[in-house]
Amino acid sequence: MTGLSIRLPRAKKHRFQAVTAFVFLVFFSAVFIYTFLYLRHDPTLTDLDRRLLGMSLQHPFGTDQLGRDVMTRLLLGGQQTIGYSLLALIVALLIGVPFGLISGYQRGIVDRVFMRMGDAFLAFPDTIVAIVLSGLLGPGIGNLVLAIVMVKWVSYARLVRSTVLAESQKDYVLIARINGLSPRKIMRKHLLPHVVGHVLVLASLDLGKIILLISAFSYIGLGAQPPMPEWGAMLNEARPYFETRPELMIYPGLAIVSVVLLTNMLGDYFRDRFDVKKEERQ
Amino acid sequence: MLQIVTRKFFEVLFFVLFITFVSFLFVRLAPGDPVLTILNVDELSVSQEQVEALRDDMGFNKPLLVQYGLWLMNFIQFDFGLSYATGQPVLDMIIMGLPATIELAAGALFVMLLVSIPLGSLSALYRNSWIDQISRLLSILGAAIPSFWLGLILIDLFGVRLHLLPTMGRDGIISLVLPSLTLGLAISSVYVRLLRSSLLDSLSQEFIRASRARGLSESRIFFAHALRHSLPPVITVFGVSLGSLIGGVVVIEVLFAYPGIGKLVVDAIRQRDYPLIQGYILIMAIIVFIVNTCVDLSYRYLNPEMKLKERETK
Amino acid sequence: MILSLEQVSIGTREKKIVKNVSLSIREGEWYALVGQSGSGKSLLSQAIGRMLSPNLQMEGKIFFKDKDLLSLAPKEMRGIRGQKLSYIFQDYQGSFTPFRTIGQHFEEYQKAHGNRDSKGRKAKTIEALESVGLDDTLYNRYPFQLSGGQLQRVSIAMSLLLSPDLLIADEITTALDSVSGHRVLELLAKRQKETGCTILFITHDWRHVKRYASRLAVMKEGEIVESGGKHRILDHPQHEYTKRLIQAAPTLGKGLPSGIQEVESV
Repeated sequence: MTGLSIRLPRAKKHRFQAVTAFVFLVFFSAVFIYTFLYLRHDPTLTDLDRRLLGMSLQHPFGTDQLGRDVMTRLLLGGQQTIGYSLLALIVALLIGVPFGLISGYQRGIVDRVFMRMGDAFLAFPDTIVAIVLSGLLGPGIGNLVLAIVMVKWVSYARLVRSTVLAESQKDYVLIARINGLSPRKIMRKHLLPHVVGHVLVLASLDLGKIILLISAFSYIGLGAQPPMPEWGAMLNEARPYFETRPELMIYPGLAIVSVVLLTNMLGDYFRDRFDVKKEERQ
Repeated sequence: MLQIVTRKFFEVLFFVLFITFVSFLFVRLAPGDPVLTILNVDELSVSQEQVEALRDDMGFNKPLLVQYGLWLMNFIQFDFGLSYATGQPVLDMIIMGLPATIELAAGALFVMLLVSIPLGSLSALYRNSWIDQISRLLSILGAAIPSFWLGLILIDLFGVRLHLLPTMGRDGIISLVLPSLTLGLAISSVYVRLLRSSLLDSLSQEFIRASRARGLSESRIFFAHALRHSLPPVITVFGVSLGSLIGGVVVIEVLFAYPGIGKLVVDAIRQRDYPLIQGYILIMAIIVFIVNTCVDLSYRYLNPEMKLKERETK
Repeated sequence: MILSLEQVSIGTREKKIVKNVSLSIREGEWYALVGQSGSGKSLLSQAIGRMLSPNLQMEGKIFFKDKDLLSLAPKEMRGIRGQKLSYIFQDYQGSFTPFRTIGQHFEEYQKAHGNRDSKGRKAKTIEALESVGLDDTLYNRYPFQLSGGQLQRVSIAMSLLLSPDLLIADEITTALDSVSGHRVLELLAKRQKETGCTILFITHDWRHVKRYASRLAVMKEGEIVESGGKHRILDHPQHEYTKRLIQAAPTLGKGLPSGIQEVESV
């Protein structure tokens, strides 16, 4: 068995990661904004004379099978992949959090309906719902986002609801009620701050999963459709060429891995920071 | 226990009815006339009478609820109709594809167990050693790597460059290796860390010390007591992540052209083959129900407290 | 001497928790180790069975029937632990694996020490349960279905099952109510008379010492401050700490602390 090891308090250990992650995210955002403003190549313009070129000054990552600049497509692909993932996440939060607040604080019919619905929704895996929606409405990134929202909002609502239930028992809420604050105000000013921490943890860890889901489904053709430069879709298009130009396959993959790693690191940091046990100690 | 099973059954039933009705509506209202799809209007020139005749034949001219009623009756008897794309009975197509999917899922689970149990156990027993650090690193990376990308790399490495393993289709057990490996590795990362933390918790329990005091061997203590005690959280996570396992199977089947029902449904979606899609939904609902029930039952087995407390309250 | 500790120290790299402890226990006696929480007595008792956590180091010699336990290989130690040397712990619920029945515990225990006869094992188990006043319906029960008193009695039954030479009882009644605790101790005393087993009894309760022990040692902050016969120490304590401890303990009934009745002056 091993001996002792120095154990840093967990938040500290993850703080370094979180800072790195944050710095990288800022860097990436800057790059994205830059390309957006100073686009030098049209990502969808095909130029068959310049297919599958290697790295060059004009095309730092080369060109793909239709002559499009890979770097531009990578960066714009980021906008697509990350953008749509964030969209799904934010919409799910916008629906789930209020629902959870009302359900947990005011109870009543809303709560009962929600619990029944929630059980039913939760019984179904997000991937099945995504498949079902794509099946009914046709493949497309919009439908994929819709499917994700439909499943995810329930888990946020439940988390918020259970937090609210726990906090409602506490004194500061009772005092606020005695003081005559309206339920809405109580929910917004007192309960919401406590909820934010837990939701932030879940959301940041979910973001990575959503990114992986969207890129995976785009890869098999059920998400972003060509010619959109989404990373998963790009991997799909790169498949026939990976013997001659494997880089076309490596770059988008690496991009996905890096971004998901970063969001996971951020999520770990938030989890340490908003650790429930720590809260109770305070 | 029977209560739980029936409740779950009704939840599944509700969902299936809801989904099928909605999908039924969509088929009738959605863009893309199914009749035209079947007749492949692009390729043949078809007269208006032929279209009308087929439409009538397929019952599309009857009132909506009647159509639904007829359809539902068939559905309950597992008659899912004919595929729009191939004309074969949907049930047959699904039954043909099911074994492949089950093989893939089983293979992936096998790989996952083969990787997670040793790594998780060693990380817990030799906490903070190099094994622990490496497994931590692999977990962090593993959680970020898309399964299909891993698959592409493995295909490139083992299939294309080294010509060691087949990368497409289903020709015996050897074609199962790469797909199972890909999916199995992709899902392992969560379980390694989970098993580690669950084990660390179990190993610090009093009954472990008591077992040692009785002179039981370390391996007996580890496997029969600590490891077994660590299983419930792992099973919980498994139950919850069933969705991503299913999604993973679908993606891997498409990637490796492995002829299971995942690949079937993706093709069906692209071709707007609604009967097949509906058949898939029902089959998956049944599978999800079975797996969830098994998870619940295994809880009761692992945790006699639950089982007996329930009996006492009746 | 059945157990002899010579200059035993236990500690981490930075700090010693048990310092140079020496004591010896004679065969068949009930030896009490008394002290407050944190004095190191539990640690010492675990050290005898070589069950310390890996980050603790131990020095000195522990002679069990003339064998130095610290020099034994793990396999030899396992032969002794559980068979010649057994334990009963304070946490009665925690001493049992939650998902195994009482019967399964006994089975596993006997199998681990070489008993291959399944009918024989079961018979021995039932006999052991009956010897502590429990009936065989408990065989198929799970630990959570038994009360604290019952569980400690099962522990007594198990710990005496293989006729050990030394039984270490670590604060076994501290978590029980006084009635159950009393019953458990009476039972232990009775079984000790029946089997002739030596008991190392760890406690902080002087009443137990007074009632059952023949010799004892007092431990404070990792060191033995006084040791000797019960009557001598209780009635004429030498060390300050011992005196304070005895004074602080509630006494019920007349007579000197050690139980000897004072003779009425004529």
